[in-house]
Amino acid sequence: MIDPLYVSGLSAMLFVMGLWGAFTRKNAIIVLMCFELMLNAANLQFAAAAVHHGDVTGWIYTVFAIAIAAAEVAIGLAILLSMYNQHATISLDEVELLKH
Amino acid sequence: MSAETVSGTGLEVPSFALLIILLPMLAFPVILLLGRLFNGKEWWRGTLKEGGLIALPVMAASLIASLAIIRRFLGETSASATSTVMHWVNFAWQDAATGEIQLFSMNFGFYVDHTTVMLLFVASFLCLLINIFSIGYMNTDPVNDNRNHRFYAEFVLFCSGMLGMVLSDSFLWLFIFWELMGLCSYLLIGFYYERPSAAYAAKKAFLTTRVGDVFLVIGLAMLWNLFQPHAVGGDALAYSVVFDGANLQAIADAGKSGALQLALGFMFIGAVGKSAQFPLHVWLPDAMEGPTPVSALIHAATMVNAGLYLVARMFPIFGAEAMHGAFTDLAFLIALVGGITACMAALIAFVQMDLKKVLAYSTMSQLAYIFTGLGAALWLANSLDWHHDDAAHTIVVVAFGAALFHLFNHAMAKGMLFMASGSVIHEMHHAHHDVHHHHDHDEHHDDHHDEDHFDAQSMANMGGLASKLPITATAMLVGSASIIGLPLIGGFWSKEGIIANTWRVALEDPRFFLPAILVLVTAGMTGFYMSRMWFMTFAGKPKSEVAAHVHEQTPWIPVPLLVLIPMSLSAIVFASLEATHYLGDTGSHLGEMGLLDGFLYEMEHAFANHDPFFLVLTYIAIGLSLVVGPMAAMALYGGQLADGEVAKPWLKPFVSLSARVNKRHRFDNAALAEGSLATALQERLYFDAWYDAACEKLVAGFSNLAAVFDRRVVDGAIKGIESGSQSTSRQVRSLTTGSARDYIMMAALGTLLIALVLWGVA
Repeated sequence: MIDPLYVSGLSAMLFVMGLWGAFTRKNAIIVLMCFELMLNAANLQFAAAAVHHGDVTGWIYTVFAIAIAAAEVAIGLAILLSMYNQHATISLDEVELLKH
Repeated sequence: MSAETVSGTGLEVPSFALLIILLPMLAFPVILLLGRLFNGKEWWRGTLKEGGLIALPVMAASLIASLAIIRRFLGETSASATSTVMHWVNFAWQDAATGEIQLFSMNFGFYVDHTTVMLLFVASFLCLLINIFSIGYMNTDPVNDNRNHRFYAEFVLFCSGMLGMVLSDSFLWLFIFWELMGLCSYLLIGFYYERPSAAYAAKKAFLTTRVGDVFLVIGLAMLWNLFQPHAVGGDALAYSVVFDGANLQAIADAGKSGALQLALGFMFIGAVGKSAQFPLHVWLPDAMEGPTPVSALIHAATMVNAGLYLVARMFPIFGAEAMHGAFTDLAFLIALVGGITACMAALIAFVQMDLKKVLAYSTMSQLAYIFTGLGAALWLANSLDWHHDDAAHTIVVVAFGAALFHLFNHAMAKGMLFMASGSVIHEMHHAHHDVHHHHDHDEHHDDHHDEDHFDAQSMANMGGLASKLPITATAMLVGSASIIGLPLIGGFWSKEGIIANTWRVALEDPRFFLPAILVLVTAGMTGFYMSRMWFMTFAGKPKSEVAAHVHEQTPWIPVPLLVLIPMSLSAIVFASLEATHYLGDTGSHLGEMGLLDGFLYEMEHAFANHDPFFLVLTYIAIGLSLVVGPMAAMALYGGQLADGEVAKPWLKPFVSLSARVNKRHRFDNAALAEGSLATALQERLYFDAWYDAACEKLVAGFSNLAAVFDRRVVDGAIKGIESGSQSTSRQVRSLTTGSARDYIMMAALGTLLIALVLWGVA
């Protein structure tokens, strides 16, 4: 049995990696992937906590989060597709219509 | 509204007294609406005289009801009769400290004493007569076609206000009706509102009297404060509360008689504005822009008396034992304002060429006489121990009664004079119309516009009218004689009394020498300017072609003149009935001595006074007003009528006398007429110019200041808020970079912040 503390640490590392990617990358798909990374870091944390406390609620949250993440990815990809149709690019640096 | 009758003295004013006020007030909307609806219809113009014949029966009913009230109270000697008609403000509350239920109610009711009886007669009688006059004067002038309903509506509303003021039983209602009259005065002066001068005059009259009214309101508020603790259950301004000896004693004991004097002083300023006294006199001459009936009714016979009535109503306060000697300064101020105005107005009247303006200044001067008389009477009432000393009592009541009797005589005479002047002006217009059309009817087709360059009111265009307008000339003669103070008729009785009493006070209080000398000199000046007016208008040869073609032809107009001529002549009857005692003393009867004894008593008092000082004074006054003034006027303006013109036998001696004096003592006044004094008088002693300049400097300066305040502070605040929020939003806007990365950053930081806050709270 792995110590939940290690799992928490892994989860934190994954989250920071996801955040970093979301801040720095300009390819919208990579940013979307980074979001998934952060979501899954949270899932991992839920799972670790469920094991640690012996409580099933954490597992239930994880399952919900996975389902919502799937929906989110679908919508995100749809937005990117639409964005590509409009601007012929998916680079975040070149899309700033909401500026001021 | 609950109706119930409360009576302090056991006397009740019959409830039909309400009709006197209510009928004209109800006629106002009726005439106005009918006029709007049926303007120009034949039956409205011809049969109903555009409302004139609706107003007439209403005013007649008012007069009949007034006469019934007067008949009921003429013989009463109790101090006053009051009746409460309605409680118009009513509420009750529980006193927090004592737990008692307190009642508060403001009432409307009637107050009738001898002053009320006199003024009620003056107001209702002259309202009716001037209504008759108006039908002749207004409805035959094409300029007024299709808008006379406005005149009659405002006329009846005014009458309602005047009669209400006379009858009401508290200073508050006096003020309410006072303002109603002010409004009607404004509307009627501006009747010819299309003429800029009339619109200006209306504004001037309204604003000038407003200055006085502001002070009146302040005075009333102070009076309310003083009497409020003593008024059980409400109305602290009711006469019954203010005149109550116990209340006045309580105020004197509390050491507040100085505050009371101040309150009365402020109220006096209101009276000064309303009665056109110095320094708020500037509006009255301009008010002559209104139609002549308006000048006769409002600006000579009734409304301008309101200020006098207000001061006369202060008599019980001045005369109270508790206030002994406390108000002599205010009494002096009243007499001084009167003296100054009397002399100043008479001086300005010397040079006026406009018939109505002469009468306007004469009105001002005579009202000032009454103010001086009231001031003297109030001083006497305040200083003498007249409650216990019979001799002092007679002196006080005769002084007060003389002032009120002069009010009566002046109202009758001046109403008649204005109507007579209206008759002259009207016939001049007619004659001008005829002459004009006769000569060059090819060039002019418009009836109105050709009259613009002919001044029908200027005495320079008149002359020799005595044979052409016999009734008018007689009325003018009798009225002028009454104003001058020709012995035995009209104003003689009262004017002698006023002069004598002012001097009587002057012997006691040297300050009064100034008003006393002024009114004595003014008596001579009155003799001059009234005679000048009569001789310029009626004696000599016609000074214009128009004047030679004048005839007395308009129906209705002579009627009131014929009624008022005997009225002014019969002042001797009133004097013999001891009218001065009656008016001054609420405890006396009319005709207490009997007609003959009263006559002999008055004659003795007037012409053979036992006190040599007053005997000499009387003859000086008579000499000045009857010999010096008229002689000078005759020497300057007298003259025989044109050949072939014959005046009526009673007018002839005056015309012939003037011609003889003119022939023998003729002198050239050209140098005087071009002197700086004459110029100053022409310019009305520059008061209007000063006021205009002062208004310009003060009001314009203040307006500029207010404009700067408005631009900088008021507008500045709003603009500051506007520009501040704009620049803030411009800064906030720069946060929206449009870059998804920044938004992610903000979301992350926000979340972090929330987490930190939650952590800190936990």
